[in-house]
Amino acid sequence: MRAFKAELSKLFSLPGIWLAFLIGAFAPAVIAALDSIAEKEEIIAGVSTRLSEIGYIGLGLGVQGVIILGVLAVSSEYLTESSESGGGRQITTSLTVVSSRLRFLLAKAGAVTVISLLLCMVAILTTVSATHLILGEYTPAFEASRLIGAVCYWTLTALLAFGITVLTKNSMIPLTVLLINSSLVSFSVLLSKVTKLAFYLPDRAGLELFMFTNDRFHPPFTGGLILFGWVVVFFIAAAIVFHRRDVAS
Amino acid sequence: MSVSTSRKITPILRAELDKLVTLPLIWLTLMGTFILNLVLAAAFTSIGLQGAAGTQSILNIGLASMGYLQAGFIILGIIATCSEYTGGQIRTTLTAIPWRGLQLSAKHLALAIITLPAAFIIAASGVLYTFIMMRDTAVVAEINTMIKTLAGAAGYLTLTTLLSAAIGALIRRTTPALVVLLGYYFTVSPLTRDSLPKYFPDTAGYYMYMPPSSNEINALTPMQGTGILILWTLILIIIAIVFYCKRDA
Repeated sequence: MRAFKAELSKLFSLPGIWLAFLIGAFAPAVIAALDSIAEKEEIIAGVSTRLSEIGYIGLGLGVQGVIILGVLAVSSEYLTESSESGGGRQITTSLTVVSSRLRFLLAKAGAVTVISLLLCMVAILTTVSATHLILGEYTPAFEASRLIGAVCYWTLTALLAFGITVLTKNSMIPLTVLLINSSLVSFSVLLSKVTKLAFYLPDRAGLELFMFTNDRFHPPFTGGLILFGWVVVFFIAAAIVFHRRDVAS
Repeated sequence: MSVSTSRKITPILRAELDKLVTLPLIWLTLMGTFILNLVLAAAFTSIGLQGAAGTQSILNIGLASMGYLQAGFIILGIIATCSEYTGGQIRTTLTAIPWRGLQLSAKHLALAIITLPAAFIIAASGVLYTFIMMRDTAVVAEINTMIKTLAGAAGYLTLTTLLSAAIGALIRRTTPALVVLLGYYFTVSPLTRDSLPKYFPDTAGYYMYMPPSSNEINALTPMQGTGILILWTLILIIIAIVFYCKRDA
């Protein structure tokens, strides 16, 4: 419990974490608002084909905030400080204090989970109110089950980013891959045109939790289960690697 | 000291080139981009092969991966400038070269010298792959158009790299710089593409390598696109230099 509290405090005091909070909390609302403005006329006329995506598209893209959170949580530990302040890495200090590596990893993952849960709730709050503000009485109803799906998607994606970063230690690769993949021009969408297997990639499967588009492949529950499977696989790999790896390397 | 500027430039440029060449991440990024580009080219080619024969041009398909490819070059630009700030390298640099404006300009020049051939090779490899795979089914472009388009693509990637380097020099931290640039290029820009004029760095640069299609009304010519992108890059570099000269390192 004390390790968990320490991890929370470390996360909140990270340089650059403000970017994660800013993107996570407000980008979904801004995107949803822009999208609602663009679709407003068609919705009022009752001919919109994208009614089921209104608002959720913001939540689908806003996941980038928690990706940054998950990546930064790990990569900041491995950042080498300047030679003037000893050239050390935070990870050596962290593991001196919490000597069980598994407990350290779990505490960190717990902190990331809690923060992304909270962040997603804030995002849902801002997104729903932004959509209501623009569309007024024409706002489609936000169903609780889909919103819970969005929360699951955010949390699991944050943990996925976390697991991948433990393996790479560097923030660049996971950040680039995951940010592009959660954007509008994702690799997975491209690959899904080549092979059906791409529908089992974490982001494609995870989006099925709450994005009810026309070309969907899995029911929401299966989609969530596939994403969860990816997270578990990466987590076990990360735990083993982290347990065996020399910290100095 | 009264050393003329022209005599200073050569050693500074050589030093900057040396620093870039010995940065392992630069080579890793370039190799990763090269491999990624081939994978993407394969994906786009196989999508293209599913389409009707004889309707697509090889250049269009071979360069379709450019949208993803630029991520590698954005990373390249950011690494080049931000690597100075991890650890105290920047202080050593400025002790050795106390002319800040000159130093940063030389860095951009050195970066361009490295990026230009790399960009050309990477862009050409994608087109070559498509050419080999689709020789029989797609329209083969003339060699003149081919070279012109590839030069445009290489120029676009190089200018994007320089622009990212300028942003990196402004923000000075790798992760926020990466998030800002990826967020712009992969999320904000595709979302706003239809509603905003085409004078932004990526939308204007798009016309440098994409063959003009007749069904677009306000398309730019390659020359206009190049001019606008160069203007953006120069402005950002100048802003970066001004901040660099004024700010505490």
